[in-house]
Amino acid sequence: MPEPEPLVRWDWLASHVDVLAFRTLEHVVLTVIAVFAGFLLSFGLALIIRRSPRTYGPISASAGIIYTIPSLALFTALVPITGLSLLTAQIALVSYTLLILVRNTVAGLQGVPAEVSEAADAMGYTSWGRLWRVELPLAMPVIIAGLRIATVTTIGLVTIAAFIGQGGLGFLITDGLRRFFPTMYVTGAVLSVLLAMAADALFVGAQRVATPWARTRTEAG
Amino acid sequence: MRGVPLEFRHVTKVFANSQRPAADGSAEGAVNDLSLVVPAGQVCVLVGPSGCGKTTTLRMVNRLIEPTAGQILIDGQDVAEKNPIDLRRSIGYVIQQVGLLPHQTVADNVASVPRLLGWERQRTERRVIELLELVGIDPGEYGDRYPAQLSGGERQRVGVARALAADPPLLLMDEPFGAVDPIVRERLQNELLHLQEQLAKTIMFVTHDIDEAIKMGDLVAVMSQRGRLAQLGTPAEILAEPASDFVARFVGRDRGLKRLSLSRVGDLELIEPATARPGDDAADARQRAARHAIPYLLLVDDESRPLGWLKAADIPNDGQLTADGADAASPLLELRTTLKDALSMLLDEDVLAGIVVDRRRSVLGLVTVDELTSVLRLPDDARG
Repeated sequence: MPEPEPLVRWDWLASHVDVLAFRTLEHVVLTVIAVFAGFLLSFGLALIIRRSPRTYGPISASAGIIYTIPSLALFTALVPITGLSLLTAQIALVSYTLLILVRNTVAGLQGVPAEVSEAADAMGYTSWGRLWRVELPLAMPVIIAGLRIATVTTIGLVTIAAFIGQGGLGFLITDGLRRFFPTMYVTGAVLSVLLAMAADALFVGAQRVATPWARTRTEAG
Repeated sequence: MRGVPLEFRHVTKVFANSQRPAADGSAEGAVNDLSLVVPAGQVCVLVGPSGCGKTTTLRMVNRLIEPTAGQILIDGQDVAEKNPIDLRRSIGYVIQQVGLLPHQTVADNVASVPRLLGWERQRTERRVIELLELVGIDPGEYGDRYPAQLSGGERQRVGVARALAADPPLLLMDEPFGAVDPIVRERLQNELLHLQEQLAKTIMFVTHDIDEAIKMGDLVAVMSQRGRLAQLGTPAEILAEPASDFVARFVGRDRGLKRLSLSRVGDLELIEPATARPGDDAADARQRAARHAIPYLLLVDDESRPLGWLKAADIPNDGQLTADGADAASPLLELRTTLKDALSMLLDEDVLAGIVVDRRRSVLGLVTVDELTSVLRLPDDARG
């Protein structure tokens, strides 16, 4: 009777460190592109909403509808149009970040206390000056919270992008499943979870660095 | 820069989205045909019930709100002809919740307008230190703190320092002391009055508190519903002769008492007491005290500082005076004590006269309850 296949073959891992590193890097690159592009797009939409609040309803609803489409369905639906390409993967990934990022950016800007905006106006800040030097710094905690959720979600979704041949840690999972080789798919899954946790911790740190004033509140007295 | 005149000429503001037709079919105005002049270096307090348009009036000065009709002139120049951003940088502004930028330190907050104006870094830094010291905040200790680490009173002081940063001739203050407790408010009011003595800015100050208006204003503009000017005058004029029932009601039934806070002990003619020092001849002292309008003898030391009261009838007929059995020499008043405070101190101690002393606690004279209450008799005084 043949020995059953173990969950993890440590010798395989040891001899494939370069492969694991490469797939992890791929995963990170795919995530960074998606979150970065998603944030730029969301920030633009948030500025439109800031100018004319009436647009918030339609923009938020559209992003919400996209968010409800199952990810695998969206990937496959795009393949006939844009092929098995990076673009296909990114269209889907970026779309999923919009709902969270638009809502958090808008909520962050709206959360700036009215008297602070009024004081900025009364001191003679221009509209842009107020946005960059008053509203955005104050909205930062909520915006970063949005980026944190969007990034962790995207790390999960990038795993599925492997189904349309985009590599990343999802490749280890799909390839491992196809070959009935647990070491590969278990490693892919564990690494993507670790990556998500690392990203999460990174944003918690960024939050603290970006908002030194928020930290002091509890020390006051 | 010292104050410049501020003038409203037939200023009206109607808000487009609140055009409820009034009984006569005209649109309801937030501010209605307001004309007033604040002379350079004076404090004009806009006071009235909520919804009377006083904040709207204030915000039209720096064009946070644009008037529907009329003109506002600062030093003779129409604000409508100025760039709103430049205009705002040239006017100090303090609001109720202070509006300090929570993500900036105290020093950065005060430096806001100088930075917007593009001042050199060193000049801005020097100015920040100067201003924080002016408002009684230690720049070394507080400069790097965030607003959340300050008390309400400290925040308010920083707000005033920030408004003064670019040395504007005109300050707008919207209920600046509304969010602090009464004791701190009193102190901040006194500090602002003291600052104003040195700075002589033109200040437009909004409050709903008539006592604050009377205390802070050189001029008080009482506003009624829909932004009509019910009366403009000095605090004394408003209290002595309210122009309408509305003003009389708003000022309150205790306007006689309020007038007491407008005058100070130094404004009264002080009564000279019968005084003597321990060791003086008792018979002579007894005689002098008995002849005095107040049949008491005030014992003083060699520096003329009060030691205690002796009732004329209790002074022995011979020998030397001693302080035995003397009543406490209180309350002690200063020349700058308001009559209101003086009266309440006299009533608290249940005495007929207070001792007015100078800075070295030497006796200057007496103030009696009779004298204080004579000020309360409004009609005589108003005509006088």
